[in-house]
Amino acid sequence: MGTSYSAVGWNRQKRIYDQVIAGCCVLYLVLFVLITVTVNPDCTFETVLLRSTSTLAVFILHVILSIGPLTRLNKKFLPLLYNRRHLGVTMFLLSAVHAVFGILQFHSLGNVNPLVSLFTSNTHYGSIADFPFQSLGFFAFVIFLLMAITSHDFWLHNLTPKTWKTLHMFVYLAYFLVVMHVMLGVIQYETNPVFVVIMISGAFILITLHLIAGMAEVKKDKKAYRPEEEGFVQVCDVRDVEESRAKIFCIAEERIAVYRHENKIYAIHNVCKHQGGPLGEGKILDGCITCPWHGYQYLPHNGQSPPPFTEKVSTYKVKITGNTIWLKPTPDTAGTTQQGAAVPAE
Amino acid sequence: MNNDEFYIGWMQQAPKGFAVWIKKYVFALLPITIALGVSVALAQKKFGSGNFEFGTLTTVTGVYSHSPVPNIKVFDGKDFWGNKNYITIPLIGFGKHGADGVIADLENETNIAFEGKELALKGTLLYNDGKLLMQIDANDKPLVMVNEPAGKVPETLQENIGIIDIKGEIVDPKCFFGVMKPGEGKPHKDCAIRCILGGIPPVLKVTNDEGIQHYYLMVGEHGEKMNDAVRDYVATPVTLHAKAVAYGDWIVLYVQPGGLQHYSYMREHYSNNIAMCGKRCVE
Repeated sequence: MGTSYSAVGWNRQKRIYDQVIAGCCVLYLVLFVLITVTVNPDCTFETVLLRSTSTLAVFILHVILSIGPLTRLNKKFLPLLYNRRHLGVTMFLLSAVHAVFGILQFHSLGNVNPLVSLFTSNTHYGSIADFPFQSLGFFAFVIFLLMAITSHDFWLHNLTPKTWKTLHMFVYLAYFLVVMHVMLGVIQYETNPVFVVIMISGAFILITLHLIAGMAEVKKDKKAYRPEEEGFVQVCDVRDVEESRAKIFCIAEERIAVYRHENKIYAIHNVCKHQGGPLGEGKILDGCITCPWHGYQYLPHNGQSPPPFTEKVSTYKVKITGNTIWLKPTPDTAGTTQQGAAVPAE
Repeated sequence: MNNDEFYIGWMQQAPKGFAVWIKKYVFALLPITIALGVSVALAQKKFGSGNFEFGTLTTVTGVYSHSPVPNIKVFDGKDFWGNKNYITIPLIGFGKHGADGVIADLENETNIAFEGKELALKGTLLYNDGKLLMQIDANDKPLVMVNEPAGKVPETLQENIGIIDIKGEIVDPKCFFGVMKPGEGKPHKDCAIRCILGGIPPVLKVTNDEGIQHYYLMVGEHGEKMNDAVRDYVATPVTLHAKAVAYGDWIVLYVQPGGLQHYSYMREHYSNNIAMCGKRCVE
């Protein structure tokens, strides 16, 4: 966390991450261009540029969309999640080259404005075979553009996390538009099944990963808790929660993180105010609950970020009977101080 | 991975367990990146052999005619029987425009009607599959010379082939014969529409059973331009009912009223069966 915005908070990890992205991009582009020029010496610069950037952008989009479910399935993917926006911006830049050059190539120097031409040249919007696939690519590109320019935390803060997250969830619509853009466009021209196989395999892998990760979470969320006196529900044994770590419980469709800190049990809302990261998968560092996604921090007893930061999450009352932790799933106002429940001596 | 390891992005270095895992993931992504780049590049359809002499201006001299599309006929020696041979070079304008505007401006500037005159024109050649076209751009000052033709003007109407039905794809000749690759099919459809609506004459590309391609200029029933009329048919399989007339090395199709239709495989191959099925269904 930082008290002021900077374009990118560079550190060693980010540099390595960006170098790997750049290296893979250069490797792909060089391979694509060299092979095309060798096998297809009649190729043109324009077409090679359009195809190399677009295919690479589609590949990176698949990688980006796989990071979320991979991280839910295995926490070791967190470094990829943390720096995912770098991949997103790289993908956007590649798609921008494809989009801008495509509009210039196919729609400029005509008798109407290129953007008007994009939507009015082919007007078979009611046909699948003849559908003007460029319009789908255009709208996908607009979503990528909005995502790229709002990727910085400045926009996350000013748009509010909910609006920001909603906007960025449109990436799934953009992905659908990209798939249809490809399927209704170049695949109708090319005869090699490789293109169809790649697109379908990519979509299949993404859908499968999301389903597996989603089902694993649904299974956890569906666990039933019996309400007891005074609205408290029994959640787990104190020995189930390691020091400085938490367990997450979903009660009445809200996820709550139950933390153990200095032999006391605290409970806070599981959703980080930054990007909705799972606070219960974090760790207490320097006395603060630290979000695993981007390192945002909250004090366990009141759910407030340490000064000068101002983020707050809801807190919950807890009590311990014997070795059993009881949680009252009704949240107190964000930032409310809780006494915590003392863990009995072994 | 040590269970107590915790990753935070703002740390200088990721914990060892995380770093090792991510390295493995990147090494797994590497062959996928290579395989994708190689397979996608290899799977592309062959590019056409068309050529657009971008940046090179060539001067050609021939007899200008505005019909059926703006063109000049360039003398190309004599045939076996001693008759004069001419190559017809359709003219097109800069960008996605026909040549009519440039020719009209030149006629106004010189106050000379070019029809039947011998012109020396400077422009950019594009060619493929035995067809040659030339782009003339007002910025290149394309008119080098205009003269009365020396000797007899070549006959324009050479052979009336008759009414034919033919199947093919409408392309814009500028892109197809050299400017773009591919200059046909779905990815190029919008551009072809824009070129044809800009005045570039539509051409029907026909592939015969042996895979050999032939090209036909398209005009309306009375020789009028039909650029706007073909808009909804560009870059899709179409059938034409047309009168075919050979003008030297180009055949021109005079499309009959209602003679341009989308090609239907079902209609061509199963129309009888469909009718029989309909009859049975009624019974």
